[in-house]
Amino acid sequence: MSQLLDRVPDYVRRFERYVPSRPDAVLMRQYGAPFLHRLNNNENALGPPQLAREAIAAFQPERAAVYPSGDAYDLRQALAARFGKSPDQFLVGNGSCEVIGSVIRAFCAAGEAIVTADKTFAVYEWVAGFSGVEARLVPLAGAALDPAAMLAAVTDKTKIVFVCNPNNPTGSWWNRATLEAFLTALNGRALVVLDEAYREYLDDPGFPDGLGVMDRHDNVLVFRTFSKMYGLAGFRVGYLCGSLEAVDIVRRTHIAYSVNSLGQFAATAALADDAGHIAATRAMVREAGEFLRGVFDKLGLEYVSGAGNFIMVRTPVSDTLLYRRLMQKGVMVRTMTGFRFPNWIRVSLVREPAMVAFADALKKVLDRS
Amino acid sequence: MADCLRVAMDIPPDSAFACPAAGLARTLAERSGFGQRESYRFQLTVEEFCLCLMELLPAGECLRLAMDAKPSRLRAAFSFKAANLSLAGLNLTAQAQACVEGEPGRDLGLLLAGKAADRFHLEQQGGEAFRLVAEVDRAYPELTPVAMPEEARPPYRLDRSADPARLCQAAALALGAYPARQCPGSFKRPEKFVALVAEGEMAGIVALDAAERTVGLLVWAPCSEQALYFSGPYVFAPQAERAAIARLLTDGFLAAVARDNHVIVLSFRATPDLPAGSFEPLGSLLAGREGDGRDEPVVFRHLREDTGAAVWCAPSLQAFLRQAYEELAMPRDILPVEAPAGRTRRESLLGASLDRHRDLAELRPFLDGQDLAANLTAHVAAIRDKGISRILYYMDLSRPWEAALADDLLRAGFVPRLVLPHGGQSDMVVWQHEPAA
Repeated sequence: MSQLLDRVPDYVRRFERYVPSRPDAVLMRQYGAPFLHRLNNNENALGPPQLAREAIAAFQPERAAVYPSGDAYDLRQALAARFGKSPDQFLVGNGSCEVIGSVIRAFCAAGEAIVTADKTFAVYEWVAGFSGVEARLVPLAGAALDPAAMLAAVTDKTKIVFVCNPNNPTGSWWNRATLEAFLTALNGRALVVLDEAYREYLDDPGFPDGLGVMDRHDNVLVFRTFSKMYGLAGFRVGYLCGSLEAVDIVRRTHIAYSVNSLGQFAATAALADDAGHIAATRAMVREAGEFLRGVFDKLGLEYVSGAGNFIMVRTPVSDTLLYRRLMQKGVMVRTMTGFRFPNWIRVSLVREPAMVAFADALKKVLDRS
Repeated sequence: MADCLRVAMDIPPDSAFACPAAGLARTLAERSGFGQRESYRFQLTVEEFCLCLMELLPAGECLRLAMDAKPSRLRAAFSFKAANLSLAGLNLTAQAQACVEGEPGRDLGLLLAGKAADRFHLEQQGGEAFRLVAEVDRAYPELTPVAMPEEARPPYRLDRSADPARLCQAAALALGAYPARQCPGSFKRPEKFVALVAEGEMAGIVALDAAERTVGLLVWAPCSEQALYFSGPYVFAPQAERAAIARLLTDGFLAAVARDNHVIVLSFRATPDLPAGSFEPLGSLLAGREGDGRDEPVVFRHLREDTGAAVWCAPSLQAFLRQAYEELAMPRDILPVEAPAGRTRRESLLGASLDRHRDLAELRPFLDGQDLAANLTAHVAAIRDKGISRILYYMDLSRPWEAALADDLLRAGFVPRLVLPHGGQSDMVVWQHEPAA
């Protein structure tokens, strides 16, 4: 084994593999929990929109023997029609994570750099790390990405700036003016990725529409996903949109045929029927947020509640201890030490029974501590 | 990362090759700037181990020797095969045995090699394959006491890549302000601490005040592939400012390692300044002669969610382990292992690390043997004769043969004190010798 390891680049050798959570049945056995509420991945508890459900139900098993569209042709047509773009301005991936890898491979050579926040979605930093690309991490200003500090971190080596808008896990977001000022000051010195994974949870006219911003700034790429609002996380479908030139470059480093047929069908159908679904989801998230903020206020716990279907709360004990104690009571949350928020947890905002179960379990665990 | 010279070779089982190998060892030491005394000790270590280990090789096998030098130490790693390996001459207690008339010369050679090196450890690599690693340290001057800052003025900030002079000063301040048992041994020789940081063997962050005074320090080092030991936070400021500086250091440490390749951080040397609620108690160790009589807490925290593990456990340890995991709410599959029956090896081997300055001895099992309980008792007596009162023993629960030694430990007066999650290849049980036990 050590000889194999000797052949591995240093930046891969130093990298720690990601260990996903175990399946529910394993976790329930390990922790002795009779049930499990997964509140750790910001999934949509309402599931996918109705038309997507029908598309999934109509999938004929024989189609499983046939390769999917290698470039998600129909889905790109639907996205183009929906957003008034060319289908060639879209590139679909096996979740946004695959698209992050494709963009970093396309624009960064080993030894070059990306800029992002220190407390944000981890995958930008991870992919850069195991690709030999330096991740320059800029501290948040409070709970928000700091545009001035991010600009200051850009050097000649910087190829991409990742802006998670709204930011996961704080839910903070740059408004139109902040984003426009940032892009103007950057003046095209680097590609800017606007990751809008949670944009559909916002209903604020001040929130910038990345697909409009990129028309004015050709160095902007926009990431979106069907895993959050659209309730299709199990199929892993994400996409990027950018200028024809930028997308053509990324397509060179992107693996074709990576998105399965069922996911493409479901995502295409979901787009055609999302207004009611989005409204219902927003209502669920709003109610859950109000409920949990009340719980945290009563318990005297500090919390950060911005855009998105999640809330972050500071805990008086180690977040990883709280995770284990909550698991024993059948509730799974996300610890925030890995997001560089030690002693905070992030909780998905879902339906009332799961929120009540979480609140009850939290009170019991904190009483015991 | 400091430059590192390396030499590696396969040595046939012929004693004529031991001398040239030792010559290379000396050249490596001299070329790396080590003094005459360390170079000679390293040469002696390599020569004696070569001669002893060659005798053990099965027909047709070579001894593989890999040597490297870093600024702080010289290392020789021997990879070899041996049937029913016995290296009793390396035991801390081996001196008297080696002097007995008629003992084979190999034990005297092992004795010399073991004494010439600053430390060694033996890994079993499956079947008859072993790896023995011996190290000789560079000699560094002891610290010169430094004056504590008289005040500390906010705002405070962290310096994650402090220069050597700042690190030396911070280590000296820590040793001046905190008991030796709460400081890493390298603080006593701050230049060694700086070298270890430069080599990547340790890491640290320093807290500075508005006037660029050093007002705090926290350091860490890997203790296994999955765990980091940290020490601190050390705060050099008036009472009113201590909590803020300690919090800054602790949060800075966790942010630095949060996306590192370790899953857990542990400390035997957490100071009273550690912020409450950030870490979990694992248990405590009995205070030594230097302490104030209170048990010394051991703390930890995960850096990510625990995914469970399987551990081996002897019947006599099962109640202790079940209670420990229940209190930690940590899922573990406990696999039973029985006490060893019909041990084929006569003589056991224990690794011993002694630190009189910190009143601490640490024992690890390298080879099981029929004499294990007696060997443990002999080690305890030898260590107590040297005036050391805190004696710990580490049991890695990933290895069935180690877990099976629980009864021997109990017979020798050791008591299981706590479990270190991921402290070894798997979880580790820390035993402490209790004279009255």
